[in-house]
Amino acid sequence: MNTSPVQLDVDSVSLNFGRVQALSDVTFQVRQGEIVAIIGPNGAGKTSLLNCINGFYRPSAGRIVFDGQNLADVPPHRIASLGIARTFQNIALYTGLSTLDNLMAARHIHMRSGMLDCIIYWGRSHREDLQHREVVEEIIDFLEIEHIRKAVVGSLPHGLRKRVELGRALALEPRILLLDEPMTGMNVEEKEDMARFILDIHERRGVTTVLIEHDMGLVMDIADRIVVLDFGIKIAEGTPEQIKNDPAVIQAYLGTDLQV
Amino acid sequence: MTDPQTLPQHWLQNVHRYWDTDKVAVRQKEFGIWQRFTWRQEYEQVKDFSLGLVDLGLRKGDRVAIIGDNSREYLWGALAVMAAGAAVVGMFTDVRPNEIEYIVTHSDARFVLASDQEQCDKLLDIKDKLPDVKHVIYWDDRGMWNYNEPWLLDFTQVQALGRVVAEQNPQRFDECIAEGQGSDLAMICYTSGTTGLPKGVMIAHSNFLYSATALSKIDPRYPTDNYVSFIPMAWIGGAVLDIAPHTVEGVILNFTEGPETVQQNIREIAPDALLYNSRLWENLVATIQVRIQDSIWIYKQLYRLFLPIGYKIADLRFEKKPVPLHLKLLYQLGKWAIFEPLLSQFGLHRARSTYTSGAALSPDVIRFFAALGLALRQVYGATELTGGAVAHRADDIKFESVGKPIPGAAMQISESGEIYLTSPGLFQGYHKNPEATAKSIYVDDTGKKWFKTGDAGYIDEDGHLIYLDRMKDMIELATGEKYSPQFIEGRLKFSPYISHAMTIGGQDKEYVSALITIDFDNVGHWAERHGIAYTTYTDLSQKPEVYELVRKDVENVNRSLPKAARVRKFVLMHKAFDADEGEMTRTRKLRRLVLQDRYREIVDALYQNLSEVQIKGVVKYQDGREAFIDTSLRIAALEETT
Repeated sequence: MNTSPVQLDVDSVSLNFGRVQALSDVTFQVRQGEIVAIIGPNGAGKTSLLNCINGFYRPSAGRIVFDGQNLADVPPHRIASLGIARTFQNIALYTGLSTLDNLMAARHIHMRSGMLDCIIYWGRSHREDLQHREVVEEIIDFLEIEHIRKAVVGSLPHGLRKRVELGRALALEPRILLLDEPMTGMNVEEKEDMARFILDIHERRGVTTVLIEHDMGLVMDIADRIVVLDFGIKIAEGTPEQIKNDPAVIQAYLGTDLQV
Repeated sequence: MTDPQTLPQHWLQNVHRYWDTDKVAVRQKEFGIWQRFTWRQEYEQVKDFSLGLVDLGLRKGDRVAIIGDNSREYLWGALAVMAAGAAVVGMFTDVRPNEIEYIVTHSDARFVLASDQEQCDKLLDIKDKLPDVKHVIYWDDRGMWNYNEPWLLDFTQVQALGRVVAEQNPQRFDECIAEGQGSDLAMICYTSGTTGLPKGVMIAHSNFLYSATALSKIDPRYPTDNYVSFIPMAWIGGAVLDIAPHTVEGVILNFTEGPETVQQNIREIAPDALLYNSRLWENLVATIQVRIQDSIWIYKQLYRLFLPIGYKIADLRFEKKPVPLHLKLLYQLGKWAIFEPLLSQFGLHRARSTYTSGAALSPDVIRFFAALGLALRQVYGATELTGGAVAHRADDIKFESVGKPIPGAAMQISESGEIYLTSPGLFQGYHKNPEATAKSIYVDDTGKKWFKTGDAGYIDEDGHLIYLDRMKDMIELATGEKYSPQFIEGRLKFSPYISHAMTIGGQDKEYVSALITIDFDNVGHWAERHGIAYTTYTDLSQKPEVYELVRKDVENVNRSLPKAARVRKFVLMHKAFDADEGEMTRTRKLRRLVLQDRYREIVDALYQNLSEVQIKGVVKYQDGREAFIDTSLRIAALEETT
């Protein structure tokens, strides 16, 4: 059992769009260094929950505390610099830029040089650029995307774009990584590669990871704990073993027997 | 020091030569930068690792297996093993655990160097079956940070052990190297046995040194040369092209970021020598043509202007005729204006020697690269001869041949038509398999040993070797002579007017004949240009002019064949061979039996004294409709030319 301090505390979070209740009273905690998977049928509110955590949405009720800071007090554009990075279900990269540039762009929150410095590009700003390039190159090496370093992202196949997006999230040097369906649309081999990268990130960098994923086999393999949502309500939480045998989860996924 | 006899002794000589310079020994691209290592750094790395292995129990005469992609650690590991007097056993990265088990056990390897987690996991799976392996040593620790397995050691851990030994006994490493002898085993290469278990080809240091020096006599290597190491070192070709020139001549080895980046990295390095397989060269032709199509107007014009001049010069050179000065000057201009910039896009502008391996390249491809200024050369050899034994010289290239013996090597054709080769590179036998060794060696009257290649071929009037096929794939005719269907069909398909060809022969046939399908597009264009009217495929195929056109190409192929194997009659088929009708596989390989059966009447006619054959049959169109066909096909007979 992980006994590290709680890093992310989702406390009775509700979210509604008009009369549509996307999340109702969802509570769970993520400890430092854990891999937590959020699963649930389509429309269960998984992505909405991630959007609340990284500030896209404001919860209608409840609060989210990250490293002791209530995220309601932080403007959305500052959230990334707290150390929260994410990837998106439908990949949101700069398709006209190269892999390298996409990753370098993510380093902006760590850059100190001002516009004038950058125009002169000598001394401090040049040194800084090299430092960031080094960090980015390490990520490129880590994710084995050397061969597409200079390739324009728009020309890459889906599986590789997913990997680039993960790389960009890593380039933020996050303390928590939110991954929204990192393996959709991938073949078995690509999925296994991605699972290996997630585990490697976890092992090597100790980054806390919250991921949404539909592939149950993979979720069961890599997650420490699983949170199950259905119609915006948390219906179960526990280890993969507990979740597998939970009647509420089975019912949400498979439905109930019709009594005739 | 006496003359060096082993690879490590040569290597040490180079280390001393470049000790006080910053000459680069190897480069490897990492984190986007070509990291450089000097000879002195390489020496320290190899020394520490070698002594580390000795400290762990490696002894002279032992074996060490290596699996992994080419990298500096692979090279250093191999050098360290050889420096300690042990032999390297290379394995390809895609080996399965049961194959590892066989090779490691059969070669009695004491250690295994395995590049990364993937390979280490395979070894861990079969750990119980490898009791004699003391340690597995890896150099890429990704994913293995939490492995708790004392059997596995990190490359640098071994080097740390070596440093302790070096401190106590600084001379130990150099002494180890000095003890080596030319007859010591350097490497065991396991050949991927198509039948039965793989056989371990034992290669001594003297074999390697012969191979390296003989090749550099016809194609010199210099210490300033750059070479990109990407051909697997487990293959003899990799070892001969990478390790040998590096240790003997001091050639700079460049290691790529990974298997996916080879093309990009070659472009960055622009190596002086290069071996691609024929498939890659063929792809490159298409890529170059596409690039030119996509480029700006001025480049397209330059290309159109200068390419014919390139072709003219290339043809003159192939025919060994003098090249007029004005053409040379024009060509120089073309080189400067378009050819070199174009080749530099692919890292080929500095390539002095370019080799091709694998299936035969079509003359068109060879001519194309010759026009751009690259002389593609064939090399032919065997693992059992430490790589190449027959090769083209840059000024003596024949499309159909694989060249002449390299200095020191000799060839002969046995009575059954098999190629026998010999050279000082002849191997020391198959490891623990004297039976197979004896079977593969032919001893002539003078006591000289020849390796039986199992390949069929013949020597032409210019002394060039023509490789035909594997002996077992040769087909015997009623006359007892043999021919190679693959060879003839492959050469026929080099003709732009022929899309497919199937040869017919066998023990009940006196001579070889062929069913040929025309390439409708190319022949159609040709017919239009020459004012020949036609309606359908069938109609076009039966035009006397088309028969004449194809006959010329068949005669061309015949000229490169021994008399008995020449195509004596052919028919141009009324329709193309079709996968939907089961005449070909989906990968476009001919279904010989289906075709022979289906066109039995044509085949029979080819062996009678007929000038045409009547055929009736049902043809299935691609949209599913069927049509009844009733036509006659001409039979073309070729005179027996001498």
